[in-house]
Amino acid sequence: MALLEVTGITKRFGGLVAVNDLSLSLEKGQIIGLIGPNGAGKTTAFNMISGFYKPDEGDITFKGKIISGLRPDVVCKLGLTRTFQVVKPFPQLSVRDNVMVGAYNRTNNRRESRQKAEDIIEFLGMQDVVDMTASSLSVAYRKRLEVAKALATDPKIILLDEAMAGLRPVETDNMIDLVRQVSKQGIALLLVEHVMRVIMSLAERIVVIHHGEKIAEGEPQDICQDKAVIDAYLGEVEIDVKG
Amino acid sequence: MTAENSKNPSNGPVRNWFRGVLLDWDRTQMLICFLLVGLLALAPLFIHSTYYLGILILAAIYAFIGISWNIVAGFTGQLLIAQIIFLGIGAYTTIVLFNYYLVSPWVGLLIAGLVAGLFGIVVALITLRYGLKVDYFALFTIALMVALRTLFLKWKFVGGAVGMWFRLTEPSFDKMIFADKEPYLYIALGLVVIGLLVQYRIYRSKMGKYFLAIREDEDAAAALGVNTSLYKTLAVVIGAAMAGVGGGFYVMYVTFIEPPQVFNLGLNVEIVMAGPIIGGLGSLAGPLVGALLNKPFAEIMRGALTEGRSGSSLIVYGAFLVLTIMFMPRGVTGVLHTIYCWIIRRFTSEEPGEDQNGAA
Repeated sequence: MALLEVTGITKRFGGLVAVNDLSLSLEKGQIIGLIGPNGAGKTTAFNMISGFYKPDEGDITFKGKIISGLRPDVVCKLGLTRTFQVVKPFPQLSVRDNVMVGAYNRTNNRRESRQKAEDIIEFLGMQDVVDMTASSLSVAYRKRLEVAKALATDPKIILLDEAMAGLRPVETDNMIDLVRQVSKQGIALLLVEHVMRVIMSLAERIVVIHHGEKIAEGEPQDICQDKAVIDAYLGEVEIDVKG
Repeated sequence: MTAENSKNPSNGPVRNWFRGVLLDWDRTQMLICFLLVGLLALAPLFIHSTYYLGILILAAIYAFIGISWNIVAGFTGQLLIAQIIFLGIGAYTTIVLFNYYLVSPWVGLLIAGLVAGLFGIVVALITLRYGLKVDYFALFTIALMVALRTLFLKWKFVGGAVGMWFRLTEPSFDKMIFADKEPYLYIALGLVVIGLLVQYRIYRSKMGKYFLAIREDEDAAAALGVNTSLYKTLAVVIGAAMAGVGGGFYVMYVTFIEPPQVFNLGLNVEIVMAGPIIGGLGSLAGPLVGALLNKPFAEIMRGALTEGRSGSSLIVYGAFLVLTIMFMPRGVTGVLHTIYCWIIRRFTSEEPGEDQNGAA
């Protein structure tokens, strides 16, 4: 049984089917990429897995327990957390306090939480900004802070929602290294990413969705060649002129 | 530092402790608060006018109630605009218990806190059930206040529109009735000290961090394992219970209560909101510093401007609040913090922040 098993989840908003019958699975320590054009339903899928939305159909099983419909904080306690596409730091709190909020997930003790937060901040190379408020950080640091907060909760799985969007190439490379190091700790990662370079170099397997449905799944090199994927991204070759 | 200590070992621990406090803004704020409380405690030595002592007593009560609102609105960012409903419930509980059942106000205050806290749970559960947040939450509390005012105006048991006078007897410690102003001042200051300590404990604990996280971003907090409903409820209940106790003591001091007095948005601004906003909402020293500026300022304006032009003091008072919000959005404590950071950078090599020992 895989660590995370998503079977046939569907989410409708009124008449719009945002995600339709999506299935995927994630093993311990594995990195899987979830890609698709804008509006494909990636973030909706994330919201369902992390507990922000309840799927209309289908089940999500984590560590053998059904988690679909549980609240985000309960899901996080079980060991599954997420970052947000539009980063959500706690702007007026210091970087240390931001990470401490995550660290309190596993302890009630201030000293322990503080120690853990500082260890993680050091691991991410953010010691220099530890006392700064999150609102004064650069974009690259904010993205890093998202990862730091997620790591502090001691997860088995992190869902990374576009952790590299808007970064410069060098910053992206640093972030790729960072994700690899996180993965080495045995934490499984589900990545939503638009930067193909990132997905290609990190993901062991890629799931492609379009209009809420899975259109392809496989190894990165196969996905690049896949006709359905190319059509989804570049538009169909036969253009319907009647429109 | 170490060289100094070896020269002067007896001085070391005290100096180190003091240094630890001053390098930590949270604890520096507490130090400022306790110095202010100390000054207030000495006030009767210099101020003999009962009028001025009365202002200080009300300022202390406002500070305590301000702290209660600071925990809800300042820490968790919930716009519990009409916090005064809990004050009213606490006040009515205390006076009813005393007048009808001869319960000593000392016990009455605790029961007032309990009743207001329970009512806080009801308010929190209703707003959570219907997902009322920010402005809708604020409107709900205002609507509730109006409903309670109407209810209490019609409710004969609590005096209805006539209100209730506190059944005054001979001065007696048990009944919390004193001939002089000083005992009231010391009880009020006692409440302020308790309020400050409760607020500090919360702020430095896991609960406090979770409160702030909810204020800053509720979804991000939930993703990090914060049970946002639970912690929002906790904040409302703690704030409500404290406001209930504060309301109980308030009515003991003013000896009279009527519905328009406690279910009133204007008074809500003066008693509950002005202090923390002037002092710095969400900061530890804000409610006390703000209350000490707010109440005396309002009184001075009333004294200076009322003659022949009744109501004009309110215009000045309103302008004062607006200007404060415009030019000091983080309140007096925010300005103090800026100065504090400058001093720390100027005179030490360390960055201002929490102390590294994290004693809490």
